[in-house]
Amino acid sequence: MEIGTMLKALQDPMGIPFYPIVFQVLMVLTFALHIIFVNFTLGTLFLMVYGYLKSGENWRRLSKSMAKATTANVSMAMLLGVAPLLFVQVVYDPFWYVSNTLSAGWVIGFVFIMMLAYSLTYVFYLKRDFRGKGFAMFGIIAFLLFLFSGIIMHVLGYQLLLPEKWLSWYIMGNTVDTSGTSLHAFQLSRFLHFIIPSFAMTGIFLMLYAWYFKGREDFDRGYLDWVGKMGAKMAFVFTAIQAGVGFWWLFSLPLEFKFFTNPFFLAGAGLGVSLLFFLNHAQKDPVKYAIPAILGAFVTIFAMSYAREALRMEYLGRFDYSIFNYKLNIDWGSTALFLSTFVMGLVIIGYLLSVVYKSGRVSGEYVATPSMNKWGRLSIALLLSWIAVVAGLGIIISVKNYLL
Amino acid sequence: MYPIWEVPNLTAGIVLAFIATFHILPSHLLIGAMWFNVYVETKAYRENRPELLEFIKKYTLFLLVFSYVLGSLTGIGIWSAATVANPRGISGLIHTYVWGWATEWVFFIIEVIGIFAYYYTFGKVDRKTHLKIGWIFAIGAWTTMVVIVGILAFMVSPGKLPETGNFFDGFFNQTYWPQLLMRTTLMFAIAAVYAIAVATRLKNMEVRGFITKTAAKWGIGGLILGTLLFFWYSKTLPDEASSLIGTFVPQGLKTWIIITLVLMLVYFVYANVKPLTIGLFPAIVAIAVLFGGIWSTERIREMIRKPYIIPQYMYSNQIIGHGIPSKGVSAEIKRINEIGILKVSPFVPAHLREITEENSINAGRIIALIQCSSCHTLNEKGLRPMPQMMKKVGIKEMEAVEAYLDTLGGYPHMPPFAGTGAEKGALANYLVSLNK
Repeated sequence: MEIGTMLKALQDPMGIPFYPIVFQVLMVLTFALHIIFVNFTLGTLFLMVYGYLKSGENWRRLSKSMAKATTANVSMAMLLGVAPLLFVQVVYDPFWYVSNTLSAGWVIGFVFIMMLAYSLTYVFYLKRDFRGKGFAMFGIIAFLLFLFSGIIMHVLGYQLLLPEKWLSWYIMGNTVDTSGTSLHAFQLSRFLHFIIPSFAMTGIFLMLYAWYFKGREDFDRGYLDWVGKMGAKMAFVFTAIQAGVGFWWLFSLPLEFKFFTNPFFLAGAGLGVSLLFFLNHAQKDPVKYAIPAILGAFVTIFAMSYAREALRMEYLGRFDYSIFNYKLNIDWGSTALFLSTFVMGLVIIGYLLSVVYKSGRVSGEYVATPSMNKWGRLSIALLLSWIAVVAGLGIIISVKNYLL
Repeated sequence: MYPIWEVPNLTAGIVLAFIATFHILPSHLLIGAMWFNVYVETKAYRENRPELLEFIKKYTLFLLVFSYVLGSLTGIGIWSAATVANPRGISGLIHTYVWGWATEWVFFIIEVIGIFAYYYTFGKVDRKTHLKIGWIFAIGAWTTMVVIVGILAFMVSPGKLPETGNFFDGFFNQTYWPQLLMRTTLMFAIAAVYAIAVATRLKNMEVRGFITKTAAKWGIGGLILGTLLFFWYSKTLPDEASSLIGTFVPQGLKTWIIITLVLMLVYFVYANVKPLTIGLFPAIVAIAVLFGGIWSTERIREMIRKPYIIPQYMYSNQIIGHGIPSKGVSAEIKRINEIGILKVSPFVPAHLREITEENSINAGRIIALIQCSSCHTLNEKGLRPMPQMMKKVGIKEMEAVEAYLDTLGGYPHMPPFAGTGAEKGALANYLVSLNK
């Protein structure tokens, strides 16, 4: 069977319920957000352990803060990982499902490895004042396990690009390998390009930390200066290393792609280099440049994520696969449900994050302003209205379909 | 057809069932628990009983760790397991309900940010604001159930979707409302079991007594209402599913549900009468009993879908049995019967696509992998093992096995054999080889 024919045969016959470009944009956007929190997780976890092992009050204090940050970062990484996981199955279903079934044992293993890593992180966080011998191992093992789960995800993401190798991985003479115990393809440069930014992004995270707490009286100025400066330095050094790794990856791609001329790549690389120059400039005053740094990093990562998607299109275009040819079965009703829920969700999430933001900036109890109270009431009202509208719709459909 | 994943002595489906059952403990707990929390917190403020806040802090930390470490990850685990156990099944669901899942994801974000905000702003924001966060979390978390039940219910009763192809016709199917209300009431019982377990760790005896008694009442109410709603739910099940409960579902699973309900009711009544005598160990045993009950109900929910993974559409072996014309989807059985399963499936050794006398058993094994292994292991032991099934049926001749394969579609829980005559012969040859 021709590979192109096989891919067509594997595509879901139900088609997709909206235009593929929308799924692609959502997939790339949520992936960019996901990978930022993956980076924050690895970086803050690393600093948590490193700070714990180092001597000195600053390191001890930073280690505790990083422990708390890691627990939230893991949750956010998982939460934001769900969306690209959903959308990749919509437009790249043949590739995702083959890659997963070929390494099925590891797909399940990933879940348990993550559970163990996350549990160990919590043990560290909850017992962070404990100074016993070997306690750091909880953090070290958690870090290694998270890194390993990253390897699994990398392999799943890379195997899907290589349909020409699938049969050779699965078929063994007269029989087939149904064990799902193998990880078949790994590309070091590609993997490092996702991991190295952990330290650059965490550098920016530290700059933000110094910026956020600068108004708090209970935070020592010297400590915050130290954190900010270290963050800016980390961000710069690891962005420079990342640029090197990026070129290594670029040169290991098949030449036929001519990826160095791809506009998405050029945009991502251009933004990356600009970010590097900006971070060099930010060394003077990390607190002042913290917000532009995170915004610049986000735009760069979004562009890089689109470049990654463009690269995937190159790989799969070899077999005439394009998500833009996917069969359409437009469903306006469910699309409207999601889009309206999404907009409503932004209002509610905005309220929750604003409360957290404002409460953290004062050392005592935060008392909400009248406008914040209004926003809170609006959030609850929106949720109740959503339920009323959906329940109303459900009742009308149920009566129409089953009672009339 | 995608590559197959075999799990020795189990099936990939059982791995999925285990993860899915486990997921219900933290996920339903979380949804119910926040209502309990908001209730207790409101009481603490209104009656000026700050000591009650000690429980809320402990309970929320437990939710944060247990529900988000295990709940979120097992939620992702369900997808992962479904992906490797039945990729075409989950693909069919996702291509129908992607916006449903995406909608649930928005509420999931509200839930996760909500619990972090609720826990970390304890004592750092004014009371009204903190309660607002609690309410947003409680309502938002329940809304995830409002969404996911539509997809779960569709997997048992697809409603009018096979006719119309419309998202909402499948979503609001005949089992939607009773299932939503039943899960809603039972989530309070699940939350109560955990609340009692957390209360055993409280130092203030008065608070411990109050929480245990309150949780016990919530538990009794949830169980009774949930049981009543179960009867409504069972009335709305499609006829095929109802008859499978009587004929196919093992008695043990049904009995265990009744035992769980009775034990839990006794436990809650006892907790209400003697709240301080319940220690951590019996509280954990109660959670284990509950797990057994959920396992039974989820297994039954799985079994009554047979022979389908998506009723009226796709068989459990991932072959599309009935088309959905409104979505331009055709049934596959006829085509497979004409061309052959070994020719339409990409992941088959090339030299087995044409069956010969020499390769017949090997080809038959591949057919068994594709068509049987989602429910039967091909090992000697394990879940519904094929060798034992063949010994049980006691047929040893090729012709007799072929005749048996012809009757498969007549069993209410079995999909029909799909393939050419030569492929049926190869499968029969392989099955006979298992009985030697």
